Amino acid sequence: MVDLPDETADTLAPDQGSGESIDAFEGMLSAVLGAAYTTALRLTGNTADAEDLVQEAALNAFRGFSSFEVGTNFKAWYFRILTNCFFSKHRQARRRPTTVDFDDTPDLYLFARSIESGLTAEIPDAAAALIEKLGTERVMEAMRELSEEYRIVCTLYFGEDFSYHEIADIIGCPVGTVRSRLHRGRKMLQKALWDVALESGIVDALGEYGEGS
Amino acid sequence: MRKFDRLTCEATFRRLDDYLDRELTPEEMVRVREHLETCEGCAQEFAFEASILRAVRNRLPRLAAPPELLARISRALRADPGEGGDG
Repeated sequence: MVDLPDETADTLAPDQGSGESIDAFEGMLSAVLGAAYTTALRLTGNTADAEDLVQEAALNAFRGFSSFEVGTNFKAWYFRILTNCFFSKHRQARRRPTTVDFDDTPDLYLFARSIESGLTAEIPDAAAALIEKLGTERVMEAMRELSEEYRIVCTLYFGEDFSYHEIADIIGCPVGTVRSRLHRGRKMLQKALWDVALESGIVDALGEYGEGS
Repeated sequence: MRKFDRLTCEATFRRLDDYLDRELTPEEMVRVREHLETCEGCAQEFAFEASILRAVRNRLPRLAAPPELLARISRALRADPGEGGDG
């Protein structure tokens, strides 16, 4: 969880163009670079685009660095620029359309499927076992199945543990919109996780594991 | 008396996401917790959803940026005259 902005801070960053301001900017950027790169990778899906996105956002951020108030939340500020860059650069160039229809995904989707398939009866913590068995790559694959507006909210929420308010600030929308997108995004993600688990045979493997142990 | 102010299963379920994300007020958290203590069905659903949240988060580890990325950005910053400044 990032620190909340300090509402009382009124100190602006050093003037741009000076070595001092570049050093100050780099110092703040380096502290969030891993998180930024990770988020960029989850949004773009490949390392080259992720690096380009982080760099482009850094250059844009530095151009506006004189307006950044020292003592406020640099991570949220930089992530706002990062997501803006992503939207403007990748919105028209989405890698592939989402093929799964998530619109009618009911609540508690994974819970219901786990009960139907017998996993919940066989395994004490079926949710954790299922996702553990899926592994990082398949969870990320399921995340990539989400349409962009849901993927970005879920990426910030699951990946960086931002609060609803912070996500609203980053993507520039009301908190209520974040709440509803997250609600739907979670259901979509559950459906995507289950679909990936079925396609890869994980559900059958877990059933056998449950029966055999 | 609290017993006349208990949440129904439906009302509790509507608060599921906000409860798991600690976005409810302290009073609302207590009301949900009270319901979960006495309703096995809702408690099972909430525990399942909480487990998914934890497991997905655990499966999305934070990566380190490539070692040369900061140096690359640093070079770009120094090559870029910083147009758009307020000076």
